[in-house]
Amino acid sequence: MGERADVWQGTLALMVLKTLQALGPLHGYGIARRIEQTSGDLLAVNYGTLYPGLLKLEQEGYISSEWGTSDNNRKAKYYKLTRAGRKQLEKEAREWEQTTEILARFLAPGKESA
Amino acid sequence: MRQLRSLVLRLAGLFRKDRHDRELAAEMDSHLQMHIEDNLRSGMSAAQARRDALIKLGGVEQTKELYRERRGLPLLETFLQDIRYGLRMLQKNLGFTATAILALAVGIGVNTTVFTAFDALALRPRPVKTPERLVGVYRTTAGENHGGFSFPDYLYYRDHSKTLSDLAMFGGGMHVTTSDLSVASPEDVAHVAGAIGFHLPQLLQGSAQRLSCLFVSGNYFRLLGAQPAAGRLFLPEDDQLGAAPVVVLSGNFWQSQFHSNPAVVGSTIHLNRVAFTIVGVTPVDYLGTLSTVPVLWAPVAARPLVGDGTRESLENRKVAAGVVYGHLKAGVSLPDAEAELNVLAGQLRVAYPEVERNTGVRVVSERAFGHLDSDTWPIVAATMGAVALLLLIACANVASLLLARAATRRREIGVRLSLGAGRRRLLQQLLIESTLIALFAGAVGLPLASWTLHLVIVEIASALPSYWGSIALQVTPDIRIFGYTLLISLLTGVTFGLTPALQALRTDVNAALKDNGSMFGQRLSKSRLRDLLIVAQVAACLVLLINSTLLLRGSQRALRVDPGFDSKHVVHLSLEMYEPAMGYSQARLLGLNRQLMEEIASLPGVTSVTQASRAPISGGNRFVAVLAADAEPPANREGENRRPTTGYSYVLPNYFETLGIPIVNGRSFTVQEADTQAPVVVISEATARRFWPGQDPIGKRLVIGSVDARPPFAGEQVPFSPGSEVIGVAGDVRSLFLSKVDDSYIYVPLSQSRQWTSTLLVRTSGNTSALLPLLGRAVRRIDANFPAVAAPLDWMVSFDPYFVISRIGGILSSIVGTLGLFLACLGVYGMVGYSVVERTHEIGVRMALGAQQEQVLGLVLGESARPMLFGTVIGIVVSAVISRLLSAMLFGLNPMDAISFAGVSLLLIAVALFAGWLPARRAMRVDPMVALRYE
Repeated sequence: MGERADVWQGTLALMVLKTLQALGPLHGYGIARRIEQTSGDLLAVNYGTLYPGLLKLEQEGYISSEWGTSDNNRKAKYYKLTRAGRKQLEKEAREWEQTTEILARFLAPGKESA
Repeated sequence: MRQLRSLVLRLAGLFRKDRHDRELAAEMDSHLQMHIEDNLRSGMSAAQARRDALIKLGGVEQTKELYRERRGLPLLETFLQDIRYGLRMLQKNLGFTATAILALAVGIGVNTTVFTAFDALALRPRPVKTPERLVGVYRTTAGENHGGFSFPDYLYYRDHSKTLSDLAMFGGGMHVTTSDLSVASPEDVAHVAGAIGFHLPQLLQGSAQRLSCLFVSGNYFRLLGAQPAAGRLFLPEDDQLGAAPVVVLSGNFWQSQFHSNPAVVGSTIHLNRVAFTIVGVTPVDYLGTLSTVPVLWAPVAARPLVGDGTRESLENRKVAAGVVYGHLKAGVSLPDAEAELNVLAGQLRVAYPEVERNTGVRVVSERAFGHLDSDTWPIVAATMGAVALLLLIACANVASLLLARAATRRREIGVRLSLGAGRRRLLQQLLIESTLIALFAGAVGLPLASWTLHLVIVEIASALPSYWGSIALQVTPDIRIFGYTLLISLLTGVTFGLTPALQALRTDVNAALKDNGSMFGQRLSKSRLRDLLIVAQVAACLVLLINSTLLLRGSQRALRVDPGFDSKHVVHLSLEMYEPAMGYSQARLLGLNRQLMEEIASLPGVTSVTQASRAPISGGNRFVAVLAADAEPPANREGENRRPTTGYSYVLPNYFETLGIPIVNGRSFTVQEADTQAPVVVISEATARRFWPGQDPIGKRLVIGSVDARPPFAGEQVPFSPGSEVIGVAGDVRSLFLSKVDDSYIYVPLSQSRQWTSTLLVRTSGNTSALLPLLGRAVRRIDANFPAVAAPLDWMVSFDPYFVISRIGGILSSIVGTLGLFLACLGVYGMVGYSVVERTHEIGVRMALGAQQEQVLGLVLGESARPMLFGTVIGIVVSAVISRLLSAMLFGLNPMDAISFAGVSLLLIAVALFAGWLPARRAMRVDPMVALRYE
């Protein structure tokens, strides 16, 4: 467990948006769980990262929140992607792909000499 | 867009914090419970499930803190927090807060007042169309660079200049009288001026109005871009010699005299008995190129009509007719215009070499009211410097007050530092507190300034007789002046807050917590600068207060001094007109004068009426050279000019009786002697002593004046007699200056059939003020064109220059001195307060060792008493030097007057000691046990 890394803020926003797109409205715990699982338990999401991040996204208008009831009949706050959030997700995903692609080119062996 | 949205939401997040906190807690709790449930499902024990969840999720409180920071704006939030805290601290020490605010408010208020006045007098642009293009054109000759032009010269420049789009002339002004409008009710007398003993003679009810009339060229208003409030303003064709006489009213006069009735336009008004048609009205408070609002405007060409010069003088190139203003064409610079006008001046020099020799032209910008040239700058700079210094002293004293408070708060600051408060945050908080004080002070100072200005302007305006025109200074502080005040407030806030704040932060945490401000026996960190400040302030206040007391006590004596004549029952009446302009023949004037005397003599209560060329204490002092005929005649022509001079007045025979001046020897003139101006003279006792000490002067002869003596004003008669017989000796009076008995005064006979005199003295057995309206109506019955100004003779003390200086000087310096005393007390309060806190420990030890409360009080006060006493000594010495110089204005009061010196010094020391005693009481209440516990 020791090698589990904390998520960085910039990427957390993208992960939250993607999660909400994939699974629909979801509470904070669900989002955290999904991110951890998707990362293959390589990432740890604690309150300190998650909730300020969610608040920021909500203030920016990418997600909206609403109190609801969970499967286990527990009160929880559900987060939902807004239309602006969907657009932002597309944009950020595209940018992120571009960045990783560029980095991948740099890091790929042998290509430099070609 | 997104950022703005989140900023708004975060601003909103500053409110309803509790609800948001509860919501977050609920959300995190449900998160935790779900996590625990999942852990249980994966087979952990209840305790293990909970522990694992808690570890994974991290600190709840940190999260809340992070969340809160994201929710609101942390910088703004701490800022608001500091302001709230600061306000609480200020509220806790209301006395301190009020004093500090008041001190700074005075400093800021005075600065704003002076700045506003400066702005109104000098910086405000003239109310003209394009002020930046308005220029003044002056004629320069050797030794004169502000000269005016003759009318023909002006026309030449106007018609030939190509750099100026127009040139207009302002031809000066004069007072005219009108019989059409009589003074309806007594004029308002300024309350404050009256309260401090100033009464300027007012136009009498019923008398003709005396109006200030200014002469401007026909294109003057067009050049300035003025718009009429009613009717029309002048056109160039109005300003032709021989054109129909027209006049424009000022809006202020229109309002006060005609209730802004537009029907006035087109009607006729007689000015110096010539009919003028009113063609229009300028807006209220319209100044043109002046600094006070006139009553009437007339064309320059109308000057000869009202008796101001003649048609010939207006056409004469040698006679300056007025100053010239020009309007630059677009794109023309000042030097261009000046160069062009100098070319025109060269043409005039060639054409009229004898008149225009050495003349040139100077063009200056007339954008603003003030001419800040090298003469006025030092005065302005000195005034500004003085008020800035006052603010600086206020700041220094508030700083010392804050320092005293910072010392008492050292423990609080120490505790906060040890709990991990950042020094920056603490500094911010301390600065916010002092900035708050400064802002409050600015908020108080601004209305204070506008109130002061209003009071001063309104008072000045109402103290001036209406015929002087009205003052239209814009003194409502505008946005720029508000900005200036605010800037000063903030600068002072930071200035006076920084030092104590930094000093407080230098606090050593350990020392502060142990509260060992000063170890026993260790010398206090005494600030020599602070001591010096107290010395200087005490000395300066004392000088101001002692001298103001001397001046006020002196001027009080002036009101009670026996002038040698009866001022209580005599009214001074004067016809304020330029009689050659009235168009009467000398014979008719003298006839009217005799009728007026008879009319007044028949009024109820009037016991006697007399005339004199000059009444006592009314200014207009006149002197003539005299010599006893039996004395050695002067050796040569040089000596002739160095003969002793004496004050004189032409008087009627009943002058002495009317004014209650005793004839101590001999007799007064007979009616016949007066009328024929026989070579006889009545002299004062002092004059008799001077020329014939120990002898009977009756029958001696006096040489008065010289053949070639020049009158001070054209047409005024000056006495000349190669040998006048002394027929009487009159009691000594204070006629020239109220401060002393005249060194020498002679009375020569006034002839009512040869000499026009506009001054009458009326003695009544009744109340002098009740006589005034009767006099006004009497003057009107004789001639409705006479503007009569009158005042009881005891009011005339307002004309005595020494009285005016000592009154105004006394009042001003007592105001400044009292403000200074207030500030000095603040300094003493701060100093003693600081030292009490610093020495709490030492005091505790002393008390534990048996010192009495009184001894402790003495110890604490003694330290502040030293600079105070030192300042007092300096103040007394300086005052003693200054009071010698003031002795002429003290009306016989001893310059070392004990009440002023000892009384004021003791009062000042008492007040300053009281200021020290307030914080020193705290030293007496020190509980030795509490003080020692921290050792």
